[in-house]
This record gives sequence, C-alpha cells and structure tokens, in this order.
Amino acid sequence: MPEFRKNTKDLILENDSRQERVPLYNPEAVKRIEKEFKKWKDEKVSKKDNDNWCVTPHTVIGSEIERELLYTPLSNVDFDYMIDSGNSGQEPFTRGLHPNMYRGRQFTMRQLTGFGSPEDTNERIKFMLDNGVTGLNILFDLPTIQMYDSDDPVSRGQVGMSGVAVDSVYDMELLFKDIPIEDVSISLVTHYPSNTAILFPMFLAMAKKRGISWDKLKGSVQNDVTLEEVVRSGPEYIPPKDCFRIQCDNIEFIRKNVPLWNFITLNGYNLREFGASGITEIAVAITNGMETIENLISRGYEVDWVARRLAFFWSAASDFFDEVSRIRAARRLWYKIIKNKYNAKDLKSTWMRCHVQTSGISLTRQEPLNNIIRAAYHALSVVFGGAQSLHVDSYDEAYSVPTEESALLSLRTQQIIQNEIGVTEVVDPLGGSYYIETMTGDIEEKILNEIDELEKAGGYICSIEKGMIQKKIAEHFYKEQELIEKKDIKLVGQNIFTSESKAPSINVFKYPLDVEEKQKERIANLKSSRSKKEVEKALGDLEAACIQKTNIIPFSVKCAEVGCTIGEIFKVFKKSYGLWKPPVSY
Amino acid sequence: MSEQKIKVLLSILGLDVHNRGIITVSKQLRDAGMEVIYIGNAMPSAIINVALQESVDIIGVSSLGGAHLKLGEELIKGAKKEGLMENEGFIIGGIFSPQDAEKLKKVGFDDVFTSGATRDEITGSIIKIHNRKK
Repeated sequence: MPEFRKNTKDLILENDSRQERVPLYNPEAVKRIEKEFKKWKDEKVSKKDNDNWCVTPHTVIGSEIERELLYTPLSNVDFDYMIDSGNSGQEPFTRGLHPNMYRGRQFTMRQLTGFGSPEDTNERIKFMLDNGVTGLNILFDLPTIQMYDSDDPVSRGQVGMSGVAVDSVYDMELLFKDIPIEDVSISLVTHYPSNTAILFPMFLAMAKKRGISWDKLKGSVQNDVTLEEVVRSGPEYIPPKDCFRIQCDNIEFIRKNVPLWNFITLNGYNLREFGASGITEIAVAITNGMETIENLISRGYEVDWVARRLAFFWSAASDFFDEVSRIRAARRLWYKIIKNKYNAKDLKSTWMRCHVQTSGISLTRQEPLNNIIRAAYHALSVVFGGAQSLHVDSYDEAYSVPTEESALLSLRTQQIIQNEIGVTEVVDPLGGSYYIETMTGDIEEKILNEIDELEKAGGYICSIEKGMIQKKIAEHFYKEQELIEKKDIKLVGQNIFTSESKAPSINVFKYPLDVEEKQKERIANLKSSRSKKEVEKALGDLEAACIQKTNIIPFSVKCAEVGCTIGEIFKVFKKSYGLWKPPVSY
Repeated sequence: MSEQKIKVLLSILGLDVHNRGIITVSKQLRDAGMEVIYIGNAMPSAIINVALQESVDIIGVSSLGGAHLKLGEELIKGAKKEGLMENEGFIIGGIFSPQDAEKLKKVGFDDVFTSGATRDEITGSIIKIHNRKK
C-alpha cells in the first residue's frame, strides 16, 4: 500500500519551487512601473489612503483577506501565465476545466426542491422542469435526514416541513413518478454517509423496478462525514470512523455500479454556512477528499478510479472578487495535489468539478426583496469562477421553503445570466486581472496553511473526534456575530439603512396539510403488505456486514428492495456501531 | 448580597439540524452573566422535564425547520399543565413568517426572535421577562 506524504503543504511548495518560471511581466517594465508607482503613491495618493493602503472587507462568512487600494503588476510580479494560469482546459486548470467552458456546456441550473409528501414535491419538480431547470436537486425533510420514520414520536410535527418526507422505496417511486430519471441529472441531497447509504439504495431499487439500468443514471449524492458529524445537531450520532467508512463504502459501491454518478460532493457549503471562513471551507473539503482517496487506495483501487468522479460543493457569498478567486484557487490547488501527491495518470482525475449554492446565511430577513439583488451578485461570481452547476437561493430564505414564485425567480436569475448579459461567451473573463490573479494566489496559500493545520492535528477525521474543528468553527461564528452587531459587517436593511416603514410583505410558503397522516398511513400499509421474513433477513444481513466491516451498501440495497424503512435501517447502524457523543459542549 | 443568576434552559425543538443560532445565543447569555443549560435536540416533554428538574427561570427553544407552531404549541400546553408558565418565561427563535411570529405570541411565548436579533435584544428581553415573572 503506497505511503503518501502527510505534509501536503511542503510537497506542493517543493514542487512549485522546482518549476522553471518565466515571469509574464518584462523585468525592464517592472522596474519602470516600480519607480513610477512609488512616485504616484507619494504625489497622487492621499496620506489617508497611503496609511490605509490595505483594508479588510468584512462580509458574512468572508475570508478576511486584506485588499490593496490598487492592484498592479507589482502585486503579483512573479506571475507566470503558463504555470499559474494556463489556458482553459489546460493544466493547472485555473481558468476552467474545459477549453470552451460555457460555450460548450452551460452550467447546470439546479434548484433545490423538497417539501410535503412525495407527490407534493413531484408536482414542484414538474413545474421546475417545465420552466427550464436543467438538473434536479431534492431536499429531504428533517426526520428523513436524521433517519427517523414519519411515524416515529420524534418526527411529530416535522414531517414534510423544509424538505420531502421519504420513508421507503415506495415514497421514492411517488417522488419520481413520470420523471424521466434516465434523462435528467438528479442530485439527491443525502447529506450524510449514513442517510446516503439508506436513501440512495432506495433510489436505485426504484430505478431497478422501473427497468432502468443503473449505468444510465446521472446525478450526485452528498455523502459527507462533515455533514453528519460536524455541522449537524442531532439526537444520535454514530462514531466518526464508522461514518467515514460508510462514506467510502458508498463511494466504492457507486463507482462500481452506477458509473456516471457523482458519489460524493465534498463539503463545502454547509460547513461554511454553519460559520466557517471561505478558506476553512475549502481546506476541510480538500483534506476530507485526500483522506477519502487514501482510504479507497487502501482498499486496492487506483487514484484515477476514485478521483475521476469526486465532486465539490461550495458556497458563494458576498465578497464578490474573493468568491471568484476562491473557485479558481481551489481548482488549481486540487490539480496540484492529485497530480503531484497522488501521481494520477489521467488528467481528468485532477479536475475539481463543483456545484455551488449561493449563500443563505448572507441573506436577510428584513426587506427580503433585497435578497434578490444579493443572490444575483453571488450567482454572477460563481459564473466568473467557472463552476459546473448552480443553485440560487430565493429571497424568502429567512422565512421558509421557497414558494413557486420565489423559486422561479431564482431560476430566472440563472437564465438571465446565461442568455442576456453576454458573460458566458468568454471563458474566464476576469483572468489576467492583477487583482484576481493576486487573490487567487493568496487564497491558495491560505488554504494550504489550513490543510497543514489539519494534517498536523492528525488529520480531518481525527480533528472531528477530538472536537477541534467544531470548536474552531464555533469561535469563528461567535466573532462574526459580534462583527455584525458592531456593524463592521454591514447588512442593508438589517443593521444599516434600517427602515421604520414596513417593507412590502411577501407571500410565505404554506406547507400542505396532512402530510404526517398520509405518511403514517403509508408506513402502516407498507408494514402490513411486505414480507416480514424478507425484511428480517435483510436487516440481519446488513447488521452482519456492519459488524464485519465489509461494504454495507449491497445489503442496504436489499433492505430497500424488500421495503425496509429508513428508521429500521438506521436502527441497524446504531446497534452495530454504537452511539457517539461529540466532545464539544456549548 | 449576590444577585441570583438567571437560569436559562436552551434547546433545539425536535429534529432541527441547525444549531449555529442557539450556540451563539448560549454564549451571549453566558457572557451576560446568566447560567445556561443547553440540551441540544429535544421534544417538548423532554424540555419540560429538564426545566422542572433544573428549576430554570427561562426556557428558550430554536426552530428553523418549520415545526415551530406544532411543537411550540405542544411545549406551551405541556408547560401550562405542569404549572411552568407562572414563574417561568418562554422564548422562541428561528425561521418563520411574521404571521407565525404573531401566532407564537398568541400561543403563549413571552417573546419571539427572528434572524437579525441582536445580543442586546435577546438578553434585554430575558431580563424583562424574568423581572416580570418573579
């Protein structure tokens, strides 16, 4: 089993230093610019501006990176076009994964949908497809996410709220009724390795029943230990090591059996929204990605086999040029890591493909229509960054699940970007900007530093077990709240330009009634019509696989096929692995 | 004579996964000199049991998942049954419409907070409620 250097930062820096650089900026020109720049600063720039040459923009979940008043070639004097940037579709992929980017294929417009019973969401899916959405993105309700059945006492009052209720394969059938699942890309927001290992098998069992071969299915699952163990509050957790193993089980199984499926979307978004900086977001996702790759390699697979389908999920918040630069920096760094640390043979393995969601926490409750503007800027920064897929948050983010109206507006935001303002005709339009290229470099450096921190602490899973990452984030968002209250972070309508007059009220989504009753009835019918013997056997086999630590997914698929419920399968996990209490006290 | 610290019980209502807000509030209240017991996710009956056991002054719950009316009402009903409404204050925070915020006040919550609420607003309200109830 190959040994990988534990110190990614040193490896990358060593490799960088070995490159023969040809600076883009002519040394003679640089000398002259330097002389004139000094003169300009002394003569033209005010004392006040000179004293405050660098300022730090304060934004919600921003990166707190200093900005110069003016960026010039001097800010990034060693810039080497071919080494630092390359052309699009060329190493190191800073400018984008493909030569033609959005001219070749537009970013997928993938808006989240999910509420009520499966047939309620099915209706909204059809509405979105009719209006031009190009990918589906299904969000489950809290009982489903936390893996309790709709008839469990702890699910009371929460069935179908803030997501769709799914208890068994039969709900999957209702959810996707009349939807051509072999033709449209489907993201199932199964946040956790555990619920991915339950819900995705239900999806697969549903596809099998329809006679659709799994090798036709296109889409993604989240499947991230970060979501199950770090940024989630729940009544019951399984231990991080077992959760991580399930994450890798999911990957192994999906890679083998559902070849077009993105088996993980490294997080990313939820970590940052919880309260981490834009730097921590990327550092954690990359470190998780590396540990995942190494686990799969230890199971006997090649890096290329795994990395080809690894995907990432970012947040896009308000510091516009920072957001653009982040996506570029992350893409370049991932290339360097997969190429130089893991020696991938296939260039496609080094591609950092990402879905991005505009930041929910950056939106306000006050004057909700302002959020339309915010989300549009967030979305634009994503397009300049070169992401593959986008969800735009709706203006009623601080009120409820989107209405048809607000969901449609989010979709229109994307369509306007794609069709009206000409930004997708030119690849990486901000590339070459002194500002953007300097920021891209600064951000890459900072990400590497945080990866280093995590590795020195024993790795990502280790830092979860010790409660270190949770503590770091809690401290960060507490400080951020102070910045908001001190008005260092300015939010129009919330803490500045607050209006005494009432803003026009918006329609707030009303949940369909009787979802809980419907789902309870369905579970009762399911339990009376399925084969008790088959269910018992399937759950028993799953438990054995859990204990033996063999890949549990084939057994979970069997459970789904015979009509086990999500709660029944989760019980097996809890029984086999025991419960874990995060070592953090709040 | 030392002032008795205001004792606050904080909890997430039901299965909500979000805890950034409640953790922030928990820290803010401690910084303001209150004693805080944070029990994470809990259903109304469990919250009431802890409130009785710990003899708390204020019970605060967080709900971003849409269950604020159903479970919030259940909490207040259960609290009334146990006589907890007399000297104890109930507050709720989270994501819901202005209409629902009004409904929650009618249901019996002493105060309701939505996103953007500041430390001063929350701690000020708790102190006011506590003084009124005691």
